[in-house]
Amino acid sequence: MSDGLTALLDPRGIRLDAVAADRDDAIRQCGRALVDIGAVLEPYVDTMLARERSVPTYLGEGVAIPHGTTDGKDSVVRDALAVLRFPGGVDWNGETVSVCIGIAARGDGHVAVLAQLAEVLLDPERARALREATTHEEILGLLQPTEGAPAS
Amino acid sequence: MAAINGKDIHKLIVACDAGMGSSVMLAAQLRKELKKFPVEVSHTPVASIPADADIVVTHSELATRARQAAPGIPVVPFEVFIGDPAVKRLVTIIKEGGDLDV
Repeated sequence: MSDGLTALLDPRGIRLDAVAADRDDAIRQCGRALVDIGAVLEPYVDTMLARERSVPTYLGEGVAIPHGTTDGKDSVVRDALAVLRFPGGVDWNGETVSVCIGIAARGDGHVAVLAQLAEVLLDPERARALREATTHEEILGLLQPTEGAPAS
Repeated sequence: MAAINGKDIHKLIVACDAGMGSSVMLAAQLRKELKKFPVEVSHTPVASIPADADIVVTHSELATRARQAAPGIPVVPFEVFIGDPAVKRLVTIIKEGGDLDV
C-alpha cells in the first residue's frame, strides 16, 4: 500500500508553508503544484476553479480537496495528489482552510487515500495533526491507507 | 412526500460531477460503513445514474439535476461531505431498518 501513496504523492507536491491571498489563489497554487510534478496539463487548473464555483470542495476540519471537472479529465496525465498547507489559513466561503489536497485523477487509484482522509477528518485529534503537520513524514503517515482498506 | 425503508435499499449511488474527489470519498466511506450489509455502493456522474438504483445520495447543489436525470428514484441531498446528518440518518435506517422520508 505504501507504494500506492508514494506513487500518488510526489514529495515535490507537498508544501508545508504556502501562503494564499484567497480561495482562488489557493486553488491555482494546488493546480500549479500538479502541473509542476507533471500530473496535469495547464488547462486543468481552470477546471479546478470552475468546479469550486459549482460545488465547493470544502470537507470540514479546515480541509478542502480542489479538483477538476469531467471536462478537465483530458488534461490529466496521471493520478496524483498535491498537499499544500496554509498555516495562516485561507478564507473558503466563510470557513478557514489550512490544508488543501489537490487531486488529479483519471481512474480510481487515489480512492483508498481519500477514504483514509475521511477517517482522519472524522477523528478530531488526527484532523488537528494534519492541520499542524510540519514534516512530509507526518503528512504521509496520516494519509497512508490503513491495513484492510478497500483498494477501490 | 414518499418514504423508503432501509431494508429495501440494495443499490446506493453517490452521484457526482467529475467523480474524482469528494463524492468518491463519500462512496468509499459508505462502502466501508455498510460492508456487512447487502448494499452495493457506487459513484456515477449525475447524468448516468442507473435506472435500477434504489437511492441516490448527492450534494444539494446537484440534487435538482439528479432528480431530473433519475425520475422516480429517491434523492438524499447532503450539505457536507463528512458527517452530514442526512447521510448519517440514511446509514442508520439501512443498518437498523426504519423509514426515511425522501
